[in-house]
Amino acid sequence: MRLLPRSAANRIAVFAFLAYAGAMLALGAAVFIATHTAFSRQIDTTIEQTTNSLSGEYRDDGIRGLTETLNQLQGPGPVSLGTALFGPDSQRIAGNLKTSMPAEGWQRIVFLDPLEGPDPARAKVTMLPGGYRMVVAADLESLEAIDRTILGIFAAAFASLLLIGLAGAVALAAYLRRRLAGIETTAAAIVAGDLRRRAIVGTAGDEFDRVAASLNAMLDRIAGLIANLRQVTGDLAHDLRTPLSRLRNQLERLSGTTHDADREQLVESAIAQADNVLVLFDAILRISEVEEGSLKRAFGPVSLSDVVTELGETLVPLAEDAGQALDVVSEPNLTVQGDRELLAQAIINLVENALRHTPPGAAIRLNTHAEADGVAVTVQDNGHGIPGEDRMRVQERFVRLEASRATPGHGLGLSLVRAIAEAHGASLTLSDAHPGLLAEIYFPQRMPS
Amino acid sequence: MRILLAEDDDDTRQFVERGLEELGHNVIVAANGEDALHLSLTETVDVIILDRMMPALDGFSVLKRLRAGGIAVPVLMLTALGRIEDRVDGLEAGADDYLVKPFAFSELAARIQALGRRTAPTGVATRLAAGGIEMDLLAREVRRAGQQIQLQPREFRLLEELMRHAGEFVTRTMLLERIWDFHFDPQTKIVETHMSRLRTKLNEGNLPDAIETVRGVGYRLRAV
Repeated sequence: MRLLPRSAANRIAVFAFLAYAGAMLALGAAVFIATHTAFSRQIDTTIEQTTNSLSGEYRDDGIRGLTETLNQLQGPGPVSLGTALFGPDSQRIAGNLKTSMPAEGWQRIVFLDPLEGPDPARAKVTMLPGGYRMVVAADLESLEAIDRTILGIFAAAFASLLLIGLAGAVALAAYLRRRLAGIETTAAAIVAGDLRRRAIVGTAGDEFDRVAASLNAMLDRIAGLIANLRQVTGDLAHDLRTPLSRLRNQLERLSGTTHDADREQLVESAIAQADNVLVLFDAILRISEVEEGSLKRAFGPVSLSDVVTELGETLVPLAEDAGQALDVVSEPNLTVQGDRELLAQAIINLVENALRHTPPGAAIRLNTHAEADGVAVTVQDNGHGIPGEDRMRVQERFVRLEASRATPGHGLGLSLVRAIAEAHGASLTLSDAHPGLLAEIYFPQRMPS
Repeated sequence: MRILLAEDDDDTRQFVERGLEELGHNVIVAANGEDALHLSLTETVDVIILDRMMPALDGFSVLKRLRAGGIAVPVLMLTALGRIEDRVDGLEAGADDYLVKPFAFSELAARIQALGRRTAPTGVATRLAAGGIEMDLLAREVRRAGQQIQLQPREFRLLEELMRHAGEFVTRTMLLERIWDFHFDPQTKIVETHMSRLRTKLNEGNLPDAIETVRGVGYRLRAV
């Protein structure tokens, strides 16, 4: 048997209710004890005062005076008092209190009420000189009546408050369950396959609304990733199909060819197709590895000035051979935290992109310079550029614009540049160079060189 | 050369073994890390080819134990495609060279050749001479047939690399690694372009081509 309900909402309600009931009980007990103590103290004070005044009477007027006073003392007081005086021979000689002779000191006695029979009373028994024993007692019935009244009122109040508390707890549990159910049904629907389902976000902006909103944000992100994965898988399959079917055709033709020169050419071509597939895989794996971020542990200071200068020496002849001009400007002493080879690859890809997509005679500028607290590396050309609406799209995997379908490549170059930039905490921006394209990698933090 | 080949994939192992034997090497094989470790401790070999991923004991651990045991035989590590980290880790563990699978056999052959030679002590030469070309590494001067040739820094380094391995094939990726310190394929004609310029300068005046190019294999300085 479980002691607590399985539902957290119910558990919260039970705890809240128990705490509430406990508080009520504690309050009731405190009121009862305080009242009871105050009355008891008042009774004791009255007994004490009466005892003192009667003792004075005995000192002044002797046993006769005391007996007289006792027999007259029947007046009404705040507490109904009774007295008794016992002689040295233990015989009751005065007073209205019908009780047997008690021992000395404060105590609880039982006396015989002429109307109600035996009753409890609070009594003080004082020894008087001459062997007399005086009892002053107060009937406890009034105290008990007060106790009973308080308890009665409290019991009634407690019962009704308990009902209110119970109703509150049930309502609280239902409220919690209802708020959680919204999130739960959304999750269940997602599990069941309805990936577009979202939790309803209330207008209160409370914790539940925030949880629902975060859940929705998470679902949106996952949906985006799934869509991206689907597209990449589709594109990958498409990009693989072409070289693989070519490869297959070549091998088939090879098996039916006996002419040596033809065979050699077919084998070479088949190897080239296989290499093409491997290059594609390498690029995809490289992007994943860079995006994974685990390479960061090997990052160190890299002089972008040196990287750009060296790449200039390496790439200028390539541009010249393509009939284009590459102009390199590198500001000295620009250092960032990163990986030299990855940064070099990103810059090569940008320059290669410019070389590939501009006509002969185009001018390309590779530049690195300080900017605010950071460093910018820019590659600018004066070619046809990329239309504004496509500039974000070309940074995604496998995206190639219609205009460049004829040029070799898998549409992964800019994705890799972006992945490398992001791994370095930098950003890649493509913009219009009027005319041409301006690609900028911006590193927000420069290292002191 | 006597070569220990540790590779768990049967096809790859047989392909590499046959290829190396055709080149005249003596090959002993291991199909898992434990055998590889055992053989490298008991046999005398010139070069070890070690696959990174192997059952029982991976190539990494084999390499670490070899180096910890003071065995300095050159090791070429084979790593899987697309793992930049593996290369860094492999070199840290004491590998002398690495190659990403799948590879062209000619690439492996050229690297094995270079590794085998590495054991021979190489003095600090300041002058190189081969195939009728003289190179002064201190004065940064190059002469062919008595004529001084002006080279750009990258061209000078390319020629130096070819001269140091005169008569042997040096692959495109080896040149990318040694001259540019690039351990990735930049997918541009960096090597081809600079090599072509170097060749034009060397051959000026209708001299016979000093550099031999074999497609899919690499470049070689004609020794004669």
